[in-house]
Amino acid sequence: MDQGLLIETAEELYESAPCGYLSTLPDGTIIRANQTFLTWIGMDRKELVGNKCFQDLLSVGARIFYDTHLAPLLRMQGFVNEIAFDLTCADGRVLPVLANTVQKRDANGRPMVHRITLFNATDRRQYERELLLARQKAEQATQALQRLNETLEERVAQEVAERMKAEEALRQAQKMEAIGQLTGGIAHDFNNLLTIIVGNIELLQRRLPEGSDRLQRAATHAMEATRRAATLTQRLLAFSRRQPLDPKPIDVNKLVAGMSDLLRRTLGEVVVLETVLAGGLWRSQADPNQLENAILNLAVNARDAMPDGGKLTIETANARLDEAYVEALAEPVPPGQYVLVAVSDTGTGMDKATMERVFEPFFTTKEAGKGTGLGLSQVYGFVRQSNGHVRIYSELGEGTTIKIYLPRLIGSDEEPAEIPSQAPAMVKGSGETILVVEDEPDLRTYTTEALRDLGYRVLEAGDGRGALEIVERHPEIQLLFTDVVLAGGMNGRALSDEVSRRRPGLPVLFTTGYTSNAIVHHGRLDPGMHLIGKPFTYAELAAKVRRMIDRG
Amino acid sequence: MTTVLTRHNVRVFGHGEQPMLFAHGYGCDQNMWRLVAPAFEDRYKIVLFDHVGHGQSGAVAFDWARYGSLDGYAEDVLAICHELDLKDVVFVGHSVSAMIGVLAAIREPERFDRLVLIGPSPRYIDDGDYVGGFKQEDIEGLLDFLDSNHLGWSSTMAPMIMGNPDRPELGEELTNSFCRTDPEIAKHFARVTFLSDNRADLPNVKTKSLILQCSQDAIAPESVGRYMHQNLSGSEFVLMRATGHCPNLSAPEETIAAMEAFLSDPAPAKAVA
Ligand SMILES: Nc1ncnc2c1ncn2[C@@H]1O[C@H](COP(=O)(O)OP(=O)(O)OP(=O)(O)O)[C@@H](O)[C@H]1O
Ligand SMILES: [Mg+2]
Repeated sequence: MDQGLLIETAEELYESAPCGYLSTLPDGTIIRANQTFLTWIGMDRKELVGNKCFQDLLSVGARIFYDTHLAPLLRMQGFVNEIAFDLTCADGRVLPVLANTVQKRDANGRPMVHRITLFNATDRRQYERELLLARQKAEQATQALQRLNETLEERVAQEVAERMKAEEALRQAQKMEAIGQLTGGIAHDFNNLLTIIVGNIELLQRRLPEGSDRLQRAATHAMEATRRAATLTQRLLAFSRRQPLDPKPIDVNKLVAGMSDLLRRTLGEVVVLETVLAGGLWRSQADPNQLENAILNLAVNARDAMPDGGKLTIETANARLDEAYVEALAEPVPPGQYVLVAVSDTGTGMDKATMERVFEPFFTTKEAGKGTGLGLSQVYGFVRQSNGHVRIYSELGEGTTIKIYLPRLIGSDEEPAEIPSQAPAMVKGSGETILVVEDEPDLRTYTTEALRDLGYRVLEAGDGRGALEIVERHPEIQLLFTDVVLAGGMNGRALSDEVSRRRPGLPVLFTTGYTSNAIVHHGRLDPGMHLIGKPFTYAELAAKVRRMIDRG
Repeated sequence: MTTVLTRHNVRVFGHGEQPMLFAHGYGCDQNMWRLVAPAFEDRYKIVLFDHVGHGQSGAVAFDWARYGSLDGYAEDVLAICHELDLKDVVFVGHSVSAMIGVLAAIREPERFDRLVLIGPSPRYIDDGDYVGGFKQEDIEGLLDFLDSNHLGWSSTMAPMIMGNPDRPELGEELTNSFCRTDPEIAKHFARVTFLSDNRADLPNVKTKSLILQCSQDAIAPESVGRYMHQNLSGSEFVLMRATGHCPNLSAPEETIAAMEAFLSDPAPAKAVA
């Protein structure tokens, strides 16, 4: 068979091409159509050719477009590309097509025939519709977002205001923390210095010749001033939550009752004292000395706020701090049961600005010499260190209530501590050997001299390593007296552990300006550890050392 | 700063004194006068322009309110007249611009010598006895069509479909080079045009006018042309052999001849009662 017969003719290609072909007169009358188009549209050739215009297959809207856009464009540029039309088929179906049209002209440029090529655009139109829909949706979403944004602004403003309040509280807490670290550091250094000063004044007092009364008086004044300075550094340490606390189970009612004489003397005659002590009050756990200090500080403040007299009320109660309450606090306070001590006055009260700053050390509104601004700092530091919570309520012209919440003590049979008694009388040594480890030379000199004065034999070391060597060579040592913080890599706690390994049962007395985790967990002494806080006096040192050697 | 002249891509040429101002209709630009205007350049000063959003009109923030009726477009025509200080104007308006010219001539009759109205319609939608040729739905159909139509579609969507918005020329290749329109403005213009009703304005026209009516014009059927003729005092009516809506393109010779005949008629225009 001749191969040529198998190759498609141009006619076949025209009729069965994958696109529709139409030829029309310039006015749109269809004069030729291919089979593909006839199949698409569902009409036979006779129906279409010579009887219909291309425009007749269009909707009215599309016809307007044909007349206003397509026809003029064809005249002007000779072709039109990719116009999207919906053709109406014989059975009423709609066929989306893309139309390319070329205008064929005679030699004079007169339009003769339009050749229209049509692509079935069903899929593409679907795709375009989806795109349009997606765009519409995106626009709607944008608008919705915009509307949301508008109302959001308000809500954000509100939220921001709240957040700012919380942040302000946090900033305040952080400030207190920072000040605490600073004051703690300074107080620590001061304590070392004060210890040396106290020791040397005591030395002077003991060595001054009989009859030098004026010098003795001067030394006494110096000593008094030094003690005041020591009290100040103590309060600074309290604020910085680094004072060594000695928490004990306490009955707050008993403690308050025990203070009534002291309070009455402090308050003077124009202020009436009332105590309202709750029955069935839970026991608490805190350092009783420091709690007394705190209550005294509050009472003094109340007195100062009532120069013309008034009433001071001290109340105790069982209290619960619930989740909601503690959540609103800037500082972490666990919810639960607390013992409340509230100190109220009928004094001047405070404005908001004052109230925000009262816990800061050295914040005072009192004239120079009247207040140091450390009273409430001590209260705050002590309570926080005891895992409690302080709250101030104050109304200008009405008065102030300060509430101290101390954690309830649960499940301990230990008897509440007795209110501390006065320091014991001076007790001397009788040649027992004590090893003093202290990295601060002046302080070491003071301590060793004081102990020798008291009648002890003293060996000394500047760091842990030196101390261990001495321990090895001197089995007669009966007490290790060491600073908690030592230079040279080994701190007092590590030294003590090592010494206990080599000399089990050897008593160890620690001294420190402030507590460190090596010896004090969360400000509490480890059970069985003994500590003498700086600055210590000659008498305190004598009593403590004596007791330790006697026990050991 | 865009002036009236740049904003409307105004082109002036010709050797005559009397201005002949051509206004294109909906869907096109001044290119559609290319076969007619040159015939008059010997005797007239030819002025061509593009409506806002059409052809090469300058990009300006489109004032939706101003162009909310055909009056805004008529003001543009007057603005061009003021700018060029045109007097005794022969206004040639196609399609909707025929009505735009009518509105301009009512506002400032002294500026206009004659109006040539090609395929005019004072209202496209049927109303009682009045047959405009369209129903409200048809116009909605046109707007829908424009939405999915390539001209508007490709210029905004084609670059997106091709995933290459940085190269809009890829999209442009598909579009048609004449009669480019801003799709949103064109749609707005379509709505304003096909929903307009200026029948009540017709009696206020004092300018002599020619109505050129095509045979088988689907946009402005013969009945509408005759309605115009009845309601425009002093108008002439010519029913052309040309079919379709754009005789200025499909039958320029016939259009020119009809215009020549009308313009050479010395009858005083403004005296007709
Ligand atoms: N009960 C109170 N009523 C009114 N204001 C008070 C009261 N308690 C404290 N304040 C205010 O808080 C400030 C700080 O008190 P804080 O006890 O810390 O320091 P101080 O009393 O000024 O000095 P210090 O207690 O160290 O002698 C006071 O100066 C005072 O302005
Ligand atoms: Mg105070």
